[in-house]
Amino acid sequence: MIQKKICMLGTFGVGKTSLVSQYVRSIFSDKYLSTVGVKVDKKEVVVDNQRVNLVLWDLYGEDGFQTIQQSYLRGTSGYLLVADGTRFDTLAAARDLQKRAVAVVGKAPFVLALNKADLEAEWQIDERTLLKVADEGWTVVRTSARTGLGVQQAFDLLTRAMLEQP
Amino acid sequence: MSDARSGPDAGAVAPPAADADSESSATRNAGGDHESFHALRTLLVGQEFDRLDAMHARLDDREARRRDVAEVLPHVLLDHASDPRFTHALTPPVERAITASVRQNPGPLADALFPVMGPAIRKAVAAALTGMVESLNRTLEHSLSWRSLAWRVEAMRTGKSFGEVMLLHTLVYRVEQVFLIERPSGLLLQHVTEGEEGVRDADMVSGMLTAIRDFVQDSFQVKDGEALEAMNVGGLAVWIEQGPRALIAAVIRGSAPHTLRTTLQGAIERIHLEFSDEFEQFRGDTAAFDGARPTLEGCLHTEYRANAGPNHRTLWIALGAIAVALMVWAGFSLRARSRWNGYVDTLRAEPGIVVVSAGRRDGRYAVSGLRDPLARDPASFLAGAGLTAADVDGKWETYHAAAAPLALARARDVLQAPEGVTLTLNDGALTATGAAPLDWIAEASRLARLVPGVEKFDGTAVTDAAVRNLMNEAQAIVPLFAKGQSTFAEAQEENVRQLMARVGELARAAAILRQGFRVEVIGHTDADGVPEANLPLSRARAEQVVQLLTPIAGARLEIVGIGVGSDDPAVTSTLEADKQRNRRVTLKVTSIPATATSRSVQP
Repeated sequence: MIQKKICMLGTFGVGKTSLVSQYVRSIFSDKYLSTVGVKVDKKEVVVDNQRVNLVLWDLYGEDGFQTIQQSYLRGTSGYLLVADGTRFDTLAAARDLQKRAVAVVGKAPFVLALNKADLEAEWQIDERTLLKVADEGWTVVRTSARTGLGVQQAFDLLTRAMLEQP
Repeated sequence: MSDARSGPDAGAVAPPAADADSESSATRNAGGDHESFHALRTLLVGQEFDRLDAMHARLDDREARRRDVAEVLPHVLLDHASDPRFTHALTPPVERAITASVRQNPGPLADALFPVMGPAIRKAVAAALTGMVESLNRTLEHSLSWRSLAWRVEAMRTGKSFGEVMLLHTLVYRVEQVFLIERPSGLLLQHVTEGEEGVRDADMVSGMLTAIRDFVQDSFQVKDGEALEAMNVGGLAVWIEQGPRALIAAVIRGSAPHTLRTTLQGAIERIHLEFSDEFEQFRGDTAAFDGARPTLEGCLHTEYRANAGPNHRTLWIALGAIAVALMVWAGFSLRARSRWNGYVDTLRAEPGIVVVSAGRRDGRYAVSGLRDPLARDPASFLAGAGLTAADVDGKWETYHAAAAPLALARARDVLQAPEGVTLTLNDGALTATGAAPLDWIAEASRLARLVPGVEKFDGTAVTDAAVRNLMNEAQAIVPLFAKGQSTFAEAQEENVRQLMARVGELARAAAILRQGFRVEVIGHTDADGVPEANLPLSRARAEQVVQLLTPIAGARLEIVGIGVGSDDPAVTSTLEADKQRNRRVTLKVTSIPATATSRSVQP
């Protein structure tokens, strides 16, 4: 079976952990996030009739991007950037994280998950901003950890992008 | 090219020019001949010209030349591999290339050398460890317990070092799982377990393990190339051996020996060697590493404590052997001791030998004491006791023993008793019996008490014998007298002289012995004549002899003359010859009891 390491990146409180908690198989407690700074989970996806085992490294979401996290990024095949649609600053943070990720792993596939899609009324990130992001070549998916909206799609998109990598 | 071609052209034109001295023909054929000759030349060697052209073209084509060289170079190198000139020529550039490569990026060379360096380094480390184990051995020499004694026996039996045996018994472990993890992604390439159980989500464990290693490495800022090698939690340990592209993590229950580390190192090196291409092309497909499973399974070592079971039997056998050996030793020791005791007892019983101390000293038997020079040699008893001179140290001081046999021997030695004299010693009293000269008796009675072990000398018996002899000798001499006279008969001079000599000797003996004797000189007559006349005659005859003896009698002889007439004849006969035998004097010697005489007078 194909195995791929992917990292979950996003600033504090964007719902990375909740986003995956329903969809991944987890054996480690969340406390690892605040202690070691990472929690490893697993999600199996099938893309184009190919089963892929995604090993998810959920990195602790500090506002800053600490040196500890850089080593966690090494060897990753792709990453899921997570931002909170209700907080504009999380998108900026996601951009910052993306730049730093490029610095460590180079050009690797990634998908931006705009979380808390169920709270659309409170959104601070408007359509125009999103189009602008998409214009930069980013893949953006609206997700909701509560309803499960877009979560599977986000993983599928990322997996497909990774498989297409040479 | 054009220059190159000018040669042959010129040459080809040359032949007509050579005929130029034939003026007429040259002038005649100046125009037409040249063309026809060219035609002829093309006809004859035209193909060679084409080949030459092709050859020149090829020589000018750098790409073609490169291809040619590339084609032959490997063959040249292969065919002349043993030619030292090649080695000589190639060494400097290769060295420079390696140096440049390392300066530029040491990574590839380090990766390539990794499988080779590992074993070499391990070998050096193993040698250092051996020294350490030896020093450990020495430390353990001093710790003695029943268990360590048992291990020591096993070490002797199996020929292993004590430390090795101890490790075998102390460290019992089981490698339960082995992970092969890709670096740096932490993706699980392969996972083998001992038995069916194991972790279902090994891929997550693999990731988390990698995360924790990264965490440790980042948190504590360790040097490059250093990484977390082991984690211990109670009886569980995770040992990690890493290579450039992957690492092995072994989950171990119990306490594993250091040799397992070597096994893990060997496994990761082997995997790097066998799967270098797979690592290079790895894009997440772990199936490419299925071939590494046997190597990983080779790391699933298990060491059971139950192995000690059969060893107990051999331990008992060993202990039994020791017990038998001890018993045999004790038997020999007992026998040796009994022989020794027997020897010492013999010495103690031997006259003239006094054992002061006896025992073992410096692994040998030792005996010391006093020895009379006349006693038997202590060494002469060794054979009888079953010992040899090598077994025993003897130390003897000389002394004079009072023991009866030795004292007697010494007395014999000192007194030099003449033949016929027997000496006996009883309770310190030396007794002489038999016949001996009085001089010797006197000497002996003086010397005997000086002999150690002799308290007094009893010469009574030998003296009595000597005295009796003297008395008998004296009494045996009978001087004869002339008929009717008190003068000696004819030819009695010798007889008288003998008598005087005997009595003289008796007098000397009396002086020596301080013993008084009464010598009765009895005068006799024959039966002729009347008794009134014979009695005085007999007295006169006695008196005659008394006169002779008195001067030589000394102080201890009492000479008394008595006349008995014819009352005590030697023979009763009327023959004249027999009558003469009665005209005589006889002596009767008796000893005077000490109290009745002046025996107390000292010589």
